[in-house]
Amino acid sequence: MIARRTLLAAGAALAMARAFPASAQPVDTARAAAFIQATGQELVAAINGRGAVAQRRDQVAAILRRAVDVEGVGRFILGRYLRQATPDEQAQYMRLFEEVLIRNLSARFGEYQGVRFSLGRSQQRTEDDALVNTVVERPNAAPVSLDWRVSEVGGQPRIVDLIAEGTSLRLTTRSEYASVIGRNGGRVSALLDAMRQQVAQLSSREGG
Amino acid sequence: MRPSLLPRLAPAALALVLTGAALSGCATRPPADDREAQEEFRATNDPIEPWNRAMYDVHQAIDTAVLRPVAVGYRAVLPQPVRTGISNFLSNLRSPVVAMNDALQGETQRFGETLGRFLLNSTLGVGGFIDVARDFGLPPHTEDFGQTFAVAGVEEGPYLFIPILGPSNPRDLLGFGVGIAADPLTWLTFGHPDAMDIANYARAGVTVVSTREGLLDALDDVQRSSLDPYATLRSAYRQQRAREIANTPGATPAAPQGLGTGLPDSTPRSPQP
Repeated sequence: MIARRTLLAAGAALAMARAFPASAQPVDTARAAAFIQATGQELVAAINGRGAVAQRRDQVAAILRRAVDVEGVGRFILGRYLRQATPDEQAQYMRLFEEVLIRNLSARFGEYQGVRFSLGRSQQRTEDDALVNTVVERPNAAPVSLDWRVSEVGGQPRIVDLIAEGTSLRLTTRSEYASVIGRNGGRVSALLDAMRQQVAQLSSREGG
Repeated sequence: MRPSLLPRLAPAALALVLTGAALSGCATRPPADDREAQEEFRATNDPIEPWNRAMYDVHQAIDTAVLRPVAVGYRAVLPQPVRTGISNFLSNLRSPVVAMNDALQGETQRFGETLGRFLLNSTLGVGGFIDVARDFGLPPHTEDFGQTFAVAGVEEGPYLFIPILGPSNPRDLLGFGVGIAADPLTWLTFGHPDAMDIANYARAGVTVVSTREGLLDALDDVQRSSLDPYATLRSAYRQQRAREIANTPGATPAAPQGLGTGLPDSTPRSPQP
């Protein structure tokens, strides 16, 4: 919030650069918007499809797995703790993170029956990615503004963040995970335990 | 004229929170040699976290027992158009304070929008229940004294969690109090001081219920999907305030890790968890 001293920020930027090797490339705004348009239409078709709930959810999950840079987002979220984790913990984290992210997102989107989706007015470029604004309309609810942060990953546009009404999913999740680790004596294994428990809860709620 | 209780309560609440926080002790600072942990501690901006978490627990107890059930009932009893009407009515009542803050921030165009909205909605919109101004190309926006202080360069201060009010900080809490004190409806009696007192309490009550109803899905989602809802709300609140202060319609186009004050500023920013 408060503008920090340059030195600290530079140090932090350096730390970030080390944690996240140059995987993300600048992305063309029009290309990013077209990618979100296509992905959004796929998602809406799956959400409003005729199949059973579980089937629709699986379709949504499959689309998200393709469209989201799960690994990059996972690395960003664990941040400095990624380097503190053992290789085994890193591998477990990545597996659990994908599970939690995809299940949470599919559960959330799964409730959006009757959803309509359109590209919003403002598409903007940032330093190394593009923000694509969309408007999501659901029956009996006020329209929601949803921004998708898109980066070029391995030559393909990929979603790296979802911003609902100004709140970035990866920033809040990073804060959440850092807090869990911090409150458990800085142990990454405590986060992994909590995530494991969450996956179990999510799958029992999904009924399988 | 007789001041209602509310403007006198806000400073008292602030004093209580700050002394309580001072008495309850602070969060443990990470060791000085762990530079990254130090930086994270600073960026999280929650030096009185143990006290805030205790207040969060108090709030959750009240929420589970009263606020959420009332909001669920409110949603079940009133259909969407009626709830939207009530929400429109309440936001129309806030227009004078929004206009004041537009003016104080030198936002002449937004000031005009707020004024136009107030006039149109109060008349054609049947006392504010129907947002006709939106159809005339005047979309709603909010503005409060916390944002105005921020624009004037006042820093937020340490994060605070206040039961019922929710996430805040000294700047926004003070802004909340000033907003009530500056609201003409707090002071105008229209010759019926007792009736206006009751009306003001009714307004405060309906505002709490309507606001909580609007947050039902979002907060349920946080409780369901977050491993630490307290931390998630803290981060979400600070991100949203940054966006509101900057008056950007979409996401703040900041660097992925940066948030800053929400103000245009060329200084590099620290990571924001």
